[in-house]
This record gives sequence, structure tokens and C-alpha cells, in this order.
Amino acid sequence: MTAKMKELTDGSMQQQQGPNSCDSDSIKVFVRVRPLTKGTGLTTDGDKGQCLTVTSTNTILLNSKPEPRPFIYDHVADMETSQDSVFSIVAKNIVESCVNGYNGTIFAYGQTGSGKTFTMLGPSDSDNFTDDLRGVIPRSFEYLFYLINREVERSGNTKSFLCKCSFIEIYNEQIYDLLDSASASLFLRENIKKGVFVEGAVEKFVTSAAEAYQVLSMGWRNRRVASTSMNRESSRSHAVFTMTLESKETAKEVVNIRMSQLNLVDLAGSERQRDTHTEGTRLKEASSINLSLMCLGQVIMALVDVSNGKSRHICYRDSKLTFLLRDSLGGNAKTYIIANVHPGSKCFGETLSTLQFAQRAKLIKNKAMINEDTQGNVR
Amino acid sequence: MATPYSHDWRAVCEKFNNAQYLTEVESRKDPENDPFRSKYKARELLREIYCSLKNFDVGENENVTEADQRPKEQPIDGENDGRFGTGHCGHSPAGSRAAKLGAVEYYLGVNHVETEELSAGEEHLMNCMTFLEKCSISSENVSLFIQVRNQLGILWAGRDETEKAQGFLETAEAMYNRYMKEDGHPPMDITEFFVAEEDSLPEQERTKRFEMAYTHTLYYLAQVYKNLGLFEKAGSYCHSTLQRQLEFNQFIPLEWAINAATLSQYYITKSRYMEGRHCLSAASVIAGIAGEVPSEAASQENEAEAEKRDQLRQKRAEIARCWIKYCLNLLQDAKKLLEDNIGELDVDRQEELRAARRREEEEKERGRKNAVLFGSSDTFDSICSLEEKVSCVFPLDFEEARAIFLFGQTYVNQAREYFEMDGHVTDHIEIVQDHSALFKALAFFEEDLERRCKMHKRRVDMLEPICKDLNAQYYLLICRQLQFELAEIYYEMMDLKLAVANKQDDLDAHTVKKFNHLCSSSVKFYQMFLDSVRSPEGKWPEKLEDEVLRPALVAKFRVARLHSRFISSSPTVQLENLNRSLECYDFVVQYCRDNPEAKSAIETELELSEEMVSLLPLKMNRLRAKLASSN
Repeated sequence: MTAKMKELTDGSMQQQQGPNSCDSDSIKVFVRVRPLTKGTGLTTDGDKGQCLTVTSTNTILLNSKPEPRPFIYDHVADMETSQDSVFSIVAKNIVESCVNGYNGTIFAYGQTGSGKTFTMLGPSDSDNFTDDLRGVIPRSFEYLFYLINREVERSGNTKSFLCKCSFIEIYNEQIYDLLDSASASLFLRENIKKGVFVEGAVEKFVTSAAEAYQVLSMGWRNRRVASTSMNRESSRSHAVFTMTLESKETAKEVVNIRMSQLNLVDLAGSERQRDTHTEGTRLKEASSINLSLMCLGQVIMALVDVSNGKSRHICYRDSKLTFLLRDSLGGNAKTYIIANVHPGSKCFGETLSTLQFAQRAKLIKNKAMINEDTQGNVR
Repeated sequence: MATPYSHDWRAVCEKFNNAQYLTEVESRKDPENDPFRSKYKARELLREIYCSLKNFDVGENENVTEADQRPKEQPIDGENDGRFGTGHCGHSPAGSRAAKLGAVEYYLGVNHVETEELSAGEEHLMNCMTFLEKCSISSENVSLFIQVRNQLGILWAGRDETEKAQGFLETAEAMYNRYMKEDGHPPMDITEFFVAEEDSLPEQERTKRFEMAYTHTLYYLAQVYKNLGLFEKAGSYCHSTLQRQLEFNQFIPLEWAINAATLSQYYITKSRYMEGRHCLSAASVIAGIAGEVPSEAASQENEAEAEKRDQLRQKRAEIARCWIKYCLNLLQDAKKLLEDNIGELDVDRQEELRAARRREEEEKERGRKNAVLFGSSDTFDSICSLEEKVSCVFPLDFEEARAIFLFGQTYVNQAREYFEMDGHVTDHIEIVQDHSALFKALAFFEEDLERRCKMHKRRVDMLEPICKDLNAQYYLLICRQLQFELAEIYYEMMDLKLAVANKQDDLDAHTVKKFNHLCSSSVKFYQMFLDSVRSPEGKWPEKLEDEVLRPALVAKFRVARLHSRFISSSPTVQLENLNRSLECYDFVVQYCRDNPEAKSAIETELELSEEMVSLLPLKMNRLRAKLASSN
């Protein structure tokens, strides 16, 4: 061994920065501005003033005082954007990845009347499969099954697919099964092989886009029924439609199984987010029971410094939604958030909160990281 | 002024009672489409009370500002002006009348705020302040003085005027402290302005309500300080809030315990172990009095029991996990203090720290007396005796470290009982990872290399099976963490074996075999980690994602070193290994050449890689020459 070599192998190493910081950019945000409406009975009818301008395919200008404020996203679609182009930008890639074994999630977010349902489902009175105005979901189903059939043909039938759907609703941190309206609330569990799942949720097998859409519609109806009979407001609940895709490939006596999930999430209306703690400076008041200072824990939690690389445990559990979709929020899944906004100046407040939410979503990063201790390793 | 027994006065009290009932009880049953019905009714009653009060006789020389004229100068809080001893004393008819009018204004203000009419609410609350200007603080009105400021604090914070809120709340705080110093009698409650004498509250109840109002002041201040970014101050106010809840027995045990445990995590991230230990001991004791865990049999029979069982078990497991972090950080901080530049224990530092500790011991006693201690008369002793079970000073040798390790390990076992692998995968693995980290920190203090190696082997035994069974599709990050950690453990063990072997003269076949096995295990896990970076088609990414950039390049670098470490007597095999090693070094160098922004992340490794890329070919050529001459 040369002296030089020896020096190298005995040489010590200075401490590097601790765990490497993380900047996972797996969440993309698509903002869509709906056209102004006439005669729909919305409060914004006849509202000529507009509170925002789309200035490029990724910038939107909010006409705030004293000066307009720009917001930048992965994609901004103006009023002229067609349903087909929304699908191409947002969902096409996610569906393709799904067939290749990746998990994917599409969130829809926005205030009531901002065009969320139109974007996701399409006009309410159509059959949704021939209509040119059909939304992201029917198009995704079509494309998914088109890809599946193509794969099966290409492989000369050595590949087969199995597709299951479940549909749940999260209201007030309780989970309800929309495919079984009689069921009580369900629990989230984790399994070493299949990740996070809702225990006991009904799974329906589907073999075509139309069947998948039927399952979705049925659940959607249940959501309405539940909201009238049980005093639940659908605008205050999150609905999660999950398609689980299992592909089986038999090649040379070896069976290769791949599982992936496509989640379509309808988030609670943004105008209902007031009661969450996204509000910044408002103080939490003591509850009337007077024993409980409910949010003291949240105050303390905000003090626990996460940035100094020290190990700590936070006792407050994730919300059910973030727990269920943990994988989508900055994991190895492809995730798109569609934020719908209404351009009317009367909607300024809601539009601002939607745009801010969408910006915060960009900041969701994977908090876990690979710890490595570089000290004294090179000897 | 109406005498307490007059017919008119009784009518006022009656109205007030009704208003209270409407606000607190009836309003919960208000229909969705008319949510404030009862509160509007209560508001009407309060207005009637106000009018009656205005019409009662006034003492001859008294002039009371008309409440319907806006006072010209709004009193603004912010500094504590000496309101003690100015204005009317609480007992004068005029003073008591002003206070009563102020109280009605207070209730009207709260009523408007609750019905989302903030500006009107603010106006009423400010009118209350104006009336109080005429009064000096006394046991009759000190509660009102404090509570109106609590309300104004909430109101202004809601408008993003945090400094304004801070002013009101800090004044309330100062008033409480001053009252307790100068008078301290259980003061009248704000509801008692409108009850007949015979219905006034017992002293104990008065104390309870007054202290609660002040606890709320601290609770709001904690939030204000957090919003202002004054974290340390916010922390100490949270601490005081918790202490007062305990002292006056106004808390829900499990909620309190979890909050105290969370506060402990704040302290340990600030390396304040004495406070952290105190919070955790209190959390454990209070969680202990939250009730007995119902048996599994009982919980199968009845849903309420099942819910209670799960809650109790979960919260206690959470507190156990906070204890684990306490032990872990204490060990890791001590290690940082004691290690030299190659990560071994520095004996001189150890001696220095021992001497420093002796000096500090006396001061510590003093410091301890400054910290707010948790406890009520019932719990104080149990909390102190739990504290004595584990140290809060940095361990300086193996024995001390081991005591902390063992304490942490009991909590590992407790936490794992609830967070079982089946059903709580992520939580379970986090606990196992902490357990492994505890072993790692303890191993640092162990002087015997063979025993140190055994400790690392324990880590392998707990992590490897999990790593094998975990589905990387749903747990990619955890998989990567485990792979990387396992690779590092094997690497560490290889180093230790080498150090042991270097002390012996010759290497026997068994040792060589073992050594090579450690090397190849380390390579295997680094390789698994590297493979997880590939696309499903098995392609290496053009550019590494930020979160894996450094780990991936470090893994390549380590694999390069490991290949050059393999021991073999065959020159051909040696050459193969060196060739692989060179390829990996080359990869690191090439990647940084193509992506210059990556250089800063792995400076040292890059430098070494560049040297090896120039040195290895020479070494290989010598080997080839040797091979050629021997054939």
C-alpha cells in the first residue's frame, strides 16, 4: 500500500451536515378558472367584476389591493380550457403510471360553485360517456381500461388485470362506507404488505369504464342520501374513491404480481375550511366545559422545532385523510391537485383562500428522510 | 340605587338568570337555519337590564358617562397604569353602579361576538372598559377587569392585530398578580352582580372561577406569543397553564398528560433535559390516574369499554414513545460532547466534563428551584419519585449510559405492546428504529470492541426481518431508511472486526470469512438502496432527486470502498474487486462532473473518490504485472 493510500484510508472525516434535507416535488398543482355564469342562480350571477387574470400557463394574478398579487403553479387554465386538455395535463400521466404499477392521486379542491363537479364529473344531466363535456373521472376510467386492454393484447394474454373499487367518506374524523350505507364508522389500519387501508370497506370488482362509473355514481348518491338523513353536509366531508389495480404476468413459469392504486379525492369545500386551524392568528378560546383547553396541545406542537434534526415524537395523530393518503403526499406516488376558482369579484375571499391552499399544498414535503451518520466512517 | 331586596332589583336578577340560561343551555338546541335565536333573545333581556340600571337612582354628585355616547378616548391597554386606588372604590354606590353597567356591557359584548357581530361586540366591550375606568380594582370587580381584557384579546387577535391583543392580555396578567399580592380574597364572580345576596357563591367556587379566568389569560397569552414567534415565552406560558390546570384540579387527565408529554418534546429539542424529564414524569403520573385499562374481555362485550381501553392504551404508548426520545436524545447529545474527530470516545473531554459536572451540581439545585414544578398536593410526590428513576444529566461513561439505555428500553417494550406491527406498521417500525438508535448510542460508550460488535448485531437482528417483509411500494421511504441503516451497521461491524484483527498477528480463515461476509452484507444493502432509486424499467435517473442525492452518492462511495476491502488470496479475484471499486468511484466523480451542483453535498467523499480514480489503476497495473510474471 502506498503512503498516499494509507493516508486516505486512515484519514478522518469532518462532520457533514446531518440528515440531508428533502425537497420532494411530487405534488403538482393545476388551477382552473371557470367561466362567468348567467342564470344559474349562483350569487355571482351578473357579477361583471373579475378578481383575477390568467397571465400565462402557470401564473395567475389576483387583483388585490394595493397591488395585484401573482401566484405561480404547475399549470393555470383559463376559462377557455377544454375538458379534454384538463384530462391530458392532469390525469393522463397518472393513469399511465398506474397501469405500470405506480400509485396515483388526484385531488379536487375549491368552493361550492367554482366548477369542481363539472371538472371532475362533467355536466350533471349527461350519461358521461358520450358527452364532449365529460369530466376528468370518466375520461380517466376510459383511458385506464383502454390501456389495460392494450396491455393484455400486447402480451398475448400472458398478462391479466383485476380491478376493484372502494368509495369512502371522511366526515368529522369518522369514516363511512359509501358503497354500504348501512355500515357504522370504519377504522384505518396498516399492513406490512398492503400499506394503509380502511378495514371492512366494501370492494366492488369492475371490468369496464362504465361499470366503474356506475359504482362511483352509486356512492355519490349515497353521499347525498346520507347528508340529508344524518345531518351530514357533503360540502364538509372528504370523499375518497379508490381503484386498486392488480396485474399478473406469467412469464416462463414465474408469476409477477403488481399492485397499484388510483385515488380520486373530493376535498371538503374550501368555504368550510374556516374551522380548521389554517387561520393563522385567531386565538383558540377555552371550551365551555372549562376543563379543557382543547388546543393547548397544538400551541405546544408548534413550538417543537423540527428543523434541528433532533429526534422527537409528536403525540397528535395525523388527520384520517392525510393518514390514508400519506403515500400520495410526497411519497413515491404521482399526485395532482386541481384547484377550481371562480373569477367573480364577489368570490375574492374564497378565491384567495383556495389559491393559498394550493400554494401550501406545494410545500407538503416528505418529512421522513434517510439519516446517515457520516462521522468517522472513512477510516 | 335599588336596594338588593326591591321588587325592581329582583326583576333584574330574574332577567339576568334567563339571559344566562338562554345563552348557555337553550342556544345549543337552536335550529340550523336560525342558529342564534336564543342568543338574540338573551341580547334583548340584557338590553332591558341595561335600561333598568340606568333608571335606578344615582348618588347626587355622580356623573356617569352615558354609555350611548362613544367615549372620546378609548382606553388602550398595553402598560399597566396604576388603576389601583383611583376612581371610586368598589363599595361606593357610584362605583358599584358603574361596575354593574360595565358588567352588562361585557355580557352584551360577548353576545355580539358570539353572533358574529364583531364591531358591535368591540364597542360594548370598550364601553365596559370605560365604566371600569371609574372604579378602582376591588374584590367586587377584579374578575370583570380581567375577563373583559381576555375577550378583547381574543377579538383583536382575530383581526390580526396581535400586538393589541397582547396589550390587553398582559394588562390582565398584571392585574391578577397585583390583586393577589395586595388583596387576595376570593373575589366576586362576574355573574354575581345580578344575584340576590342570599344566592351569592361560596368562597371556594369564587376562587375556582377566578383562577380559571386567569388560567385562560395565560392560555391566550401562550397563543399570542406563539403567533409573535416568541417561542421560548410561549413555551413557558404553556408550562404555567398546565401547572395551573393541575393545581386547581381543572383538567381532563388524558388530555393533560398528552399535552405535558408534547411539551417534553419541546424541551428535549432544546436540550433542556431537566424540564423534559419533569414533564414526562408528570405525564406518566397523570395518565396513570386517568383510570384502569378495561380488560380485553370487557371491551369485547361493550363498545364504550372498548373505546376506553383503546384510548388509555394508545395515550400511554404515546407517552412511552416520548420517554424513548428523551433517553435517545440524552445519549446522543452526550455522545456528541464526548467524541473526537473519528467518532471515538475522547478521554480528555470525559475528564473535563466530569469536573464541570461536579462544579455544576450545586448550581443545579438552585436552577431547579427556579423552574415551575408540576403537581398538586396529591400528585407532587409521585411525580418526584418517578423523576428519580432516570438521570437528566449527560452520561459520561458506559455505566451511566447503560442506565439511561435500559430505562429507554423498558418504554420501547411498553410502546410496542400497543403499536403492534399488524395494524400499526409505521408506528411499530419507528419504535424499532428508535430501539436500534438506542443501541447505537450505547455502543459508543462500550470500550470492548467485541461487545460493541454484538450490540450492532442486535440492531441487525431487529431491522433485517422487517426490511425483508416490507412492501417498498407503500413504504418506500421507510424501506430506504432501513436499507441504509443496515448497510451502515454492517459497515461499522466490518470496521470493528478489522480493528480487532489488527491487534492479532495473523488472520485465520474463519476471521477472513466472517470479515468478507460483513463486507458483502453491507454491499448488498447499499445496493438495494441504490436499486430503489432506479425507475421501474431499471434505469438510473439522469438527475438524482434532492432527497436521495447525498445518500445515493455516499452509498456508491461506500460500495467502492467495500469492494477494495474484500480479502482474497487470489490476484484474479483481487483484480475483479478493484475493478468494481474503480467503477463506483468513477461513477461518483462522473456524476459530479455532469451535475456540478451536487459537489457541495459530498465534498469530502468526492475528493477521496478523485484520488482513488487516479491511484487505483496504478495498483491494478502492479497486480496485473504480478499476475503475468507468475504465470
